[in-house]
Amino acid sequence: MQPQLIRDLEALLGPKAVLSAPEDLMLYEYDGSVELGSPRCIVFPTAASEVAGIVRLANQHQTPIVGRGAGTGLSGGAIARSGGIVVAFSRMNRILEIDAENLRAVVQPGVVNLDLSRAVDHLGLYFAPDPSSQKSCTIGGNVSENSGGPHTLAYGVTANHVTGLELVLTDGEIVRIGGKTIETSGYDLCGLFVGSEGTLALVTEITVRLMRKPEAVKTLLAVYDTLDDTTETVVEITARAITPAACEMLDGFTLRAVEDYVHAGFPKDCAAVLLIEVEGLTEAAEAQAAEITEVCRLHRAREVRAARNNEERNLLWRGRKEAFGAMGRISPMYYVQDGVIPRTRLPETLRRIDEISRKYDLQIGNIFHAGDGNLHPLILFDERDREQFARVVAAGGEIMRHCVEVGGALTGEHGIGMEKNELMPLIFTPDDIALMERVRAAFNPAGRLNPGKVLPMGKACGEIRVPPTPASAANSK
Amino acid sequence: MSQPAQASFARLLDIVGSANAVTDAAGIAPHEVCGVNPAVVVSPADATQVAEILRFAGTEKLAVIPTGGCSKLGIGSPPARYDVALDLSRMNRILSYDPQDLTLGVEPGVRIEDLLRTLAEQKQFLPLAVPFSDRATIGGIVAANSSSPLRHGYGAARDFCLGMEFVTGEGKQAKSGGRVVKNVTGYDLHKLLIGSLGTLAVITRVNFRTFPMAQAQGTFVASFPDAESAFSFCRAIAQSVLTPQMLEVADPVSADFLLSTQAPERIAVQQWAVIVSAAGHPSVVDRSARELDRLAGPNKFGELIHLKQWESFALTRIREFPRLVLEAAPDAAIFRIGVLPAGMPSLFKDLSEIAKVYNLELATLTRASGIMFAAFFPQAWSKAPSPVTAALVKGVFHICALPQNCSQPMLEWCPPQLKRMGVDSWGSRRDDFPLMRRVKNSFDPKNILAPGRFAGGI
Repeated sequence: MQPQLIRDLEALLGPKAVLSAPEDLMLYEYDGSVELGSPRCIVFPTAASEVAGIVRLANQHQTPIVGRGAGTGLSGGAIARSGGIVVAFSRMNRILEIDAENLRAVVQPGVVNLDLSRAVDHLGLYFAPDPSSQKSCTIGGNVSENSGGPHTLAYGVTANHVTGLELVLTDGEIVRIGGKTIETSGYDLCGLFVGSEGTLALVTEITVRLMRKPEAVKTLLAVYDTLDDTTETVVEITARAITPAACEMLDGFTLRAVEDYVHAGFPKDCAAVLLIEVEGLTEAAEAQAAEITEVCRLHRAREVRAARNNEERNLLWRGRKEAFGAMGRISPMYYVQDGVIPRTRLPETLRRIDEISRKYDLQIGNIFHAGDGNLHPLILFDERDREQFARVVAAGGEIMRHCVEVGGALTGEHGIGMEKNELMPLIFTPDDIALMERVRAAFNPAGRLNPGKVLPMGKACGEIRVPPTPASAANSK
Repeated sequence: MSQPAQASFARLLDIVGSANAVTDAAGIAPHEVCGVNPAVVVSPADATQVAEILRFAGTEKLAVIPTGGCSKLGIGSPPARYDVALDLSRMNRILSYDPQDLTLGVEPGVRIEDLLRTLAEQKQFLPLAVPFSDRATIGGIVAANSSSPLRHGYGAARDFCLGMEFVTGEGKQAKSGGRVVKNVTGYDLHKLLIGSLGTLAVITRVNFRTFPMAQAQGTFVASFPDAESAFSFCRAIAQSVLTPQMLEVADPVSADFLLSTQAPERIAVQQWAVIVSAAGHPSVVDRSARELDRLAGPNKFGELIHLKQWESFALTRIREFPRLVLEAAPDAAIFRIGVLPAGMPSLFKDLSEIAKVYNLELATLTRASGIMFAAFFPQAWSKAPSPVTAALVKGVFHICALPQNCSQPMLEWCPPQLKRMGVDSWGSRRDDFPLMRRVKNSFDPKNILAPGRFAGGI
């Protein structure tokens, strides 16, 4: 006979909305990170009222509760670290309203990021945050993690595009914050809840801003023979105050792996490429493209190529967005980081990563949002080699420390989750963390909502967590 | 200040030094908040002193309100208690500025004018074109979430503020965010401080991303006979490929007040005026002019005006709208209303009807991105004492709550006596009020920071 919790959940949601068989639990014990954690059950609500009912049952049974979108997160945000109920929002996947005149959409949390842009494409609109996982990640997940993407360089992360939320609080109350208007009086609660990684409330409805597609988009590929020339180009683009819509960098190692898989047209013999996009009025895009080309040439780009049509553009972006997937072809596992540095420190930072890679005898690929200094070093490893994995963790920690030393941050878009929560003291003082704990306790007093995330638990202080058993396979994120 | 509090006065002087404390009436007067005066004004030198003052205030249960240029202390509800004005104007250093990285860290007492001058040397700026610009400080601008017409192109403080350092009501120094342009490390507590009117923490450092000045800029004015055609023009711009940095709609009273009567040489606006700024490469400005002329269509009066030599005059007038209204009509009531583009014409119509009922003049200035400023004042800009009544305020809150208007107003400015009669600048309590209370208790459990000044009596 099923335990009482499962029976209560089945009574609330129906038996088809509750999974608790071991083989089902296994599918929900990981996300896009290297973490693992097995829930007691997974539930699939279809409405906020059901979510409220689940929260009340979790309280009755004193069970942790963890929200989950598509499970593409890269910091373990959706993993049931302390067991409990995983609330999977995949059945709350309706676009409730498209208000083109006011440039808003109201969506349920399970709506896939790219599906919203597709649904408003015929109106000439799109949803700006574009994580690489946008074909599968959900807007609810984007809200939790405050996700970014290549084009956040010009348009900001998810928080800049959310005006209102419907929340289910830990006592089961359903409440709305913000609204459709760009501002409401009172504290900016949306500013707090977006990016709170599911630790303050469960989000059941999201009002987002839509943006109008630009008249012109120009996508440039600049090819380099040295890494330094590539990073110096990025520094100068920033210093000249040119603001491209995206400025992505792929190093030679990464682009060769990508090229073998995607055939995007990256030259396999180069040290690195920059993928730069400018957009806006035709006049603006042309002027910016000309200036960027000049800067690239000044820094010895051996070639600056413009995508001639949409197919070429899409292919270049496929090369960028499917790069993580391509890595899975050449290594059984990778560990991706998300540190941020001031953009002026890019050249020295890439040299440092290279040193670290030699020091620990590890292959590290670099593919990242160069324009806003958001690094994504990919450390390749084989999970069967425990000694190697220890080196991976040490190297990751060293890269992270470097980011902090040069005035940067632990995460630009992936979130802290359960991966970096013990690193928080590198950035924040005990008083900073105590205040964050207090805010968390104000909304999540029993600590049942996504426990063990964001804030340190006080164990292994200052270390990246070493998962007991790494997840079994890298997949495309 | 009560008798026991008098004894604590000496301790405050110890912290800041007697040269940096003021108790005389003339020194205190500028720090008045809605008719309530503090007993002492203390000017700390740094965050450590701020923390010491707040720890002491917590022990003695002294109520503290942070101040800077004292230009926006009239916003919010009258404080329930107010013992100490924490004047941050000595904390006026630019702590870091990396023009190559386009990032900046400043103390709260830096005046926006001074900061913009420093940034201009590097051909950069912050899109904070805010009122009271000769006095306003960064701390006050952020704490009051001052509205800037440049929000249209660059977003609001919440979008380009990267992080803050602050001192909580318990006298603990804390921070959130950081100094890099992209960062999701920890809770974004600093976003809560934007618009908090000093009720959560005292801001001691604000980090921003800066913006490059455009190569060229052009400001254009189109006149329209009625609200519908003026707002339609804005919607046409929003549906077009244009990306203006500013898009403002002035009703006939505001258009005349802002652009015509005061102008050294009349800018030929008639009735409704839509003011648009385009910035970027010179070819972008030229193209924008052509597109705007086309989009304004046959409904507009006359030609699209390119302001040229009057550009800076017009931009200053628009930026200073609330201040100019208050100078002309000190007892005006000015609402700040979040409104969707589609709801703007009907909201204006409803507000005009209310003005008629109460025999008041109405002047509105609308940021097309979604904020309407609505000023009610005596006919013909008379300086007659407060004709604005509690009934009018209630009426405005009521119509703003109508579904077609779908907006969240705040009565930003009104005569203090109106507030003392019980008019609540924040309107009725909303569903999310208990959540705000939880936030307040986390930051300021002893309730010593600007008690009573915020929504719902926070």
